Amino acid sequence: MSDCLNRRDFLKMSGAAVVGSAVTVAGCATAGGSTGTATGSIGLKAALPKAKGPRLVIVGGGTSGLTIAKYAKREYPKFDVVLVEKRDMYSSCFSSNLLYAGIINLEFLADHSFLDAARNNHYIFFNATVTGLDRNSRTLATSEGDIDYDFLVIAPGISYDYGRIGISDAEAINTLRTNYPGGFISPTEHVTIRRKVQEMEGGVFVQYVPSGNYRCLPGPYERACMIAAHIKKHKIKGKVLVLDANPEITIKKDGFHAAFNELYKGIIEYKPGSAITGVDLGKKILKTEFDNYHFDDAAIYPGVRASTLIEYLGLVDPKSPQKEAMIDQLKYHVIGDERVFVSGDSRPHPYSKSANTSNTEGKYVAKLLAAHAQGKDISWYSPRTICYSMVSAEPMEAISVDAGYVLNKAGTAVAGFSPDTKLFEKRDAAKGKGTLEWARGMYRELFEA
Amino acid sequence: MLAAGRRVAHAGDFSNFSKVRLTDAQGAPLKASALTSEEAYVFHFPFRSIPCFLINLGKRASGPQAMTSEGGDFTWPGGVGKDGNIVSYMAVCSHQLSFPGKEGSVIRYASKGSEIAGKNGMIVCCAHASVFDPAIGAKRVHGEATDPLVTVRLEYDAKDDGLYATGLSGLHLVERFFNVHKRSLIAEYGPGVYRESVGESSPAVPLSKYAASVSNC
Repeated sequence: MSDCLNRRDFLKMSGAAVVGSAVTVAGCATAGGSTGTATGSIGLKAALPKAKGPRLVIVGGGTSGLTIAKYAKREYPKFDVVLVEKRDMYSSCFSSNLLYAGIINLEFLADHSFLDAARNNHYIFFNATVTGLDRNSRTLATSEGDIDYDFLVIAPGISYDYGRIGISDAEAINTLRTNYPGGFISPTEHVTIRRKVQEMEGGVFVQYVPSGNYRCLPGPYERACMIAAHIKKHKIKGKVLVLDANPEITIKKDGFHAAFNELYKGIIEYKPGSAITGVDLGKKILKTEFDNYHFDDAAIYPGVRASTLIEYLGLVDPKSPQKEAMIDQLKYHVIGDERVFVSGDSRPHPYSKSANTSNTEGKYVAKLLAAHAQGKDISWYSPRTICYSMVSAEPMEAISVDAGYVLNKAGTAVAGFSPDTKLFEKRDAAKGKGTLEWARGMYRELFEA
Repeated sequence: MLAAGRRVAHAGDFSNFSKVRLTDAQGAPLKASALTSEEAYVFHFPFRSIPCFLINLGKRASGPQAMTSEGGDFTWPGGVGKDGNIVSYMAVCSHQLSFPGKEGSVIRYASKGSEIAGKNGMIVCCAHASVFDPAIGAKRVHGEATDPLVTVRLEYDAKDDGLYATGLSGLHLVERFFNVHKRSLIAEYGPGVYRESVGESSPAVPLSKYAASVSNC
């Protein structure tokens, strides 16, 4: 075990992302090193009650993990479900843009307890960080000890990819993360961005929209509207410059263009086709192919990849540009290992990376797991992406999309949006209220029975 | 457990309660033939905090329907009134339990159509785009909800054109409603009060008067 500790420490110190079985240490690597395991055991068993049925361990207490924990137990009550989550307090990423216009407070996002979710839905909440995985012995290593599993779901969400904006220098990445956070992962980013907005006295605030299948497609545009609403209300001599790596607004474009032009003329400036290629942090300059843009403050959303945990555990599809997991798109298990599943925003599917998608997908994955544990099978069905975007704060008005997905002709992978996908781009108060109630419903879904 | 309330024996498909007369806002017995078909009315039954829709479909409802529900299968009895056009459901979305509050409602009966439903006469919940058809037992016709709305069984008294609520097609959603909304129900009604029986009568008021705003998604 000391080798394992050494290896873990080495990994920590090196700060390196470990790919698959490239790094192995004698005595730690599993016999089948080619399965790409990473070990990081502290040499203790986790202090958990004895499993009373097949143990289903779920890593990640976001929308995906919370949904699967609840519904897997409901679908197959014999499951002994353990939800492993590194945070000791929940706060949702979804709906966080509403903070910036003062529509909601932090309590709206965070007054939801992992303990209540576990109690209400009959599973165990285990507050720990994953440090390794041995798929041969079916052991998940965590900072609080090892957990043996019969089935494992890994739903760790996303990590940022600064390489997508041409930045690989750790110093520059750290400055960007700290001073100009993307605001699409953690509550501490949301708090920072809200402080920036509330302390704004003028100048240019850049909201960057990355390329790729980033989390919450309309999110950066919605945020621009929420910050602009604050600027408008408080008559601040400032503006929001939306630099978009994409050639056009990526979703609900008519609704957002209408909001930009009709509500925030002179406050929001929209620059499509403006991929950041470099930054001068000293001079506060963002470089694009054709222009340089000065900024006073910013939220730089650099681009998205699957959580680094997926890479650390050796589960990345080498062909995936966003380092997403190598899983069967219909069955969600890791290729070659029907005990380990990946769900949520680390999935390789071209789904919208949104809470409603993860929630509806999670219900499907729960049914899948229940069937699988009983030697049965179920047919694939599409998740649903219902996604509101608030574009006005006073009065509250929003636009929305209701999307589904279809498989390719071979029926092996997700091809794109289904024909019944509908956009609702005329902003109105009904959708404004719907935006809040959507979130309240989602909290009820994740935390209540 | 639903300790409070005046639940009587469970008979057949429905959970039966002592019958409750529906009145207008002033407490005068409601006349079925006087109900508008423009919008739903809200009344509370069988407990003080459980909102229900009373709907004049403006046409005869379909005949009895076999219904499948999380709370157990049941037979939807159809409409009441001299034209069989009056129906009633718990006004709580079976998906994630949105309901009409005094400050606003994201769930409504859309007599004249809606953006989400795309046709007239549906019950629409804006929260997650669920649509239910009240003329066929509030079966789900679109959206993430899988269950129908809970049916409120009505009794019609032809002698005075009066309406009574007498039962629910299941209590599963009532239990969930109490659990999920407990904090806000205690804040609005008081500890324990929210689960008390409504008594012998319950006023039904148009949704647009009950809620400060109604979302017309």
